[in-house]
Amino acid sequence: MKQKAPFLDALLGLVAGVGLIALYAPLLATAALSFFQIVRVRGKLGFAPFSLDPYVALLANGEILAALSTSLVVATMSSLLALVLALMFAFYFVSARRGLGIAMQTMVFLPFLLPPIITGLSLLIAFREIDLGRGLVTIIIAHVVFIVPVVYRTVLVRLQLLGSSLTEASLDLGASRVQTLRYVILPQMRPALISGVLLAFAISFDETLITLFVAGSQTTLPIRLWAMMRVGFVPEINALATLIFLCTAAITFAIGLMQRAGERV
Amino acid sequence: MQPLLHLNNVSKRYGAVRVLDGIDITVADNEFLTILGPSGSGKTTILRIIGGFEGIDGGSLMFEGRDLSAVPINRRPFNTVFQDYALFHHMTVAENVGYGLKVRGRPKAEIAKRVAEVLDTVGLGTLGGRYPAQMSGGQRQRVALARAIICEPRLILLDEPLSALDVELRAQMQRFLKSLQRRLGIAFVFITHDQEEAIALSDRIIVVNRGRIEQEGAPEELYRRPRTPFTASFLGDNNLIPGTLAAVDGRLCTVDTAAGLLDATVDGPAPATGSAVLVAVRPEHVRLDADPAAPHGLSAEVADVRFLGANVMIELLNPALPGAVIKVRRLADGSVAGLRPGASVRLRWAADDAALLQMAP
Repeated sequence: MKQKAPFLDALLGLVAGVGLIALYAPLLATAALSFFQIVRVRGKLGFAPFSLDPYVALLANGEILAALSTSLVVATMSSLLALVLALMFAFYFVSARRGLGIAMQTMVFLPFLLPPIITGLSLLIAFREIDLGRGLVTIIIAHVVFIVPVVYRTVLVRLQLLGSSLTEASLDLGASRVQTLRYVILPQMRPALISGVLLAFAISFDETLITLFVAGSQTTLPIRLWAMMRVGFVPEINALATLIFLCTAAITFAIGLMQRAGERV
Repeated sequence: MQPLLHLNNVSKRYGAVRVLDGIDITVADNEFLTILGPSGSGKTTILRIIGGFEGIDGGSLMFEGRDLSAVPINRRPFNTVFQDYALFHHMTVAENVGYGLKVRGRPKAEIAKRVAEVLDTVGLGTLGGRYPAQMSGGQRQRVALARAIICEPRLILLDEPLSALDVELRAQMQRFLKSLQRRLGIAFVFITHDQEEAIALSDRIIVVNRGRIEQEGAPEELYRRPRTPFTASFLGDNNLIPGTLAAVDGRLCTVDTAAGLLDATVDGPAPATGSAVLVAVRPEHVRLDADPAAPHGLSAEVADVRFLGANVMIELLNPALPGAVIKVRRLADGSVAGLRPGASVRLRWAADDAALLQMAP
């Protein structure tokens, strides 16, 4: 039987509640302000009635749409590339000798753990040294570098959980290594692959600092947002922030669903 | 005749630990061979070597006279039933069973036909559309068997496949396995630590202990005529009485023990007289004589009488054999009805029922 401690339960509830409010209040305020703009009426500040005008303005803004499409391309390409790399690293880790595996893993993790400004700066220097012009390609490379660890981690956990017995069973039944990968390993890992890609997509979509170093003339959505803030506040910023928040929340929710599906397999 | 499979002087080590040492095993066509041993004896390693999951560090592995050591798992004409079944949970039962044919590129129609046949063989005719998670332990076991037999291997390896089942289901699966092996005419190599299972199923048993073969033979031979102390005590109950070999006359040996001279018989060459030996005699082979002064045999005092239904188990002590409880199993009939703790009796057995064992060097 679970011991009842009403006072402790109430205290934990209060702390959690305050924490959640502190986390979400700014987001709620931004969302609210995207629907109810602050206006000055006869010298006094007040709220305008409900309106979707900022969203309409957003969709009419060609620069923002261009930035959005750049962001989507970058996030899609880099998360898929990261998936392929992460799978290779994870297979290497489970089959290589322990010391080599850990050395490889450290190298994979470092770009994610280093301060973004260091990762961004070193990428910038590297691209200049090899004379790679800054643009879409450099952004994608940079994103792959720091999202591979996230996908790698998700994929590796699942792979280690699978163990070797299914692979052995498949080989025992006459399958080749490639057939085993295709018919047994990858299907068993599908939830982990999807949630890894989604997580990578969300992180890539939101990344700003490293992207600033390597973007050149390209503009992703967060960079566009940053630029808009610098020249003065417009209501579209609230609308844009709200949209980004909703998309990220939806992806996070989907990841949760995928991980539950993974546990059932 | 050339054996189907021959492990010749195979050794295997993990780092500094020698797990197999000089293992010689032959498997004949159509044979139900059991490798019996306690956990850690190396029996699973033997199976993994045959299956190709482990390499060998010495000796050779031949299949119909061809060297198998360089043949990878997926090219060996054997299939395995794994201890945890290792079913593919994202596939239906029919897809699991048909997997071996699918990866060989057989046409779909042929696969469907063979899967239906094999599912019928294992008694799962209508369950092909289910997923393994929707089946009971016994049914999953049958799926694993079906998956292993569909490619018509020359040999099936079974790694303690019954250990996860409850007692009743286990007995049922034992009968099923035995009849399946007869019908298919495929050699089975079965791994277990359960001696009763080994005796009930096998044509031949190989007893392994600490990476070496202790003894091999038909179940009855191993049970009646153990040659090593390990085999004598691992297979069923046995009374082991230490002594020195006093005299040999053909097969008949006389052993000098602390409790007097005892008779036993030896298989093969007898050890030198004067060497340390054990007399092994089964509890059910010991007869009781109410007259404590009768010639031959061993005098003892009843310590405990346990009624087991059809049988009684009598435990006796002899002051000259401290610490050794002598166990006697008799039918629970009138001859033992009056037996009470404290009674003095004489224990006797036919020399043919007592095996002479050489002490491990």
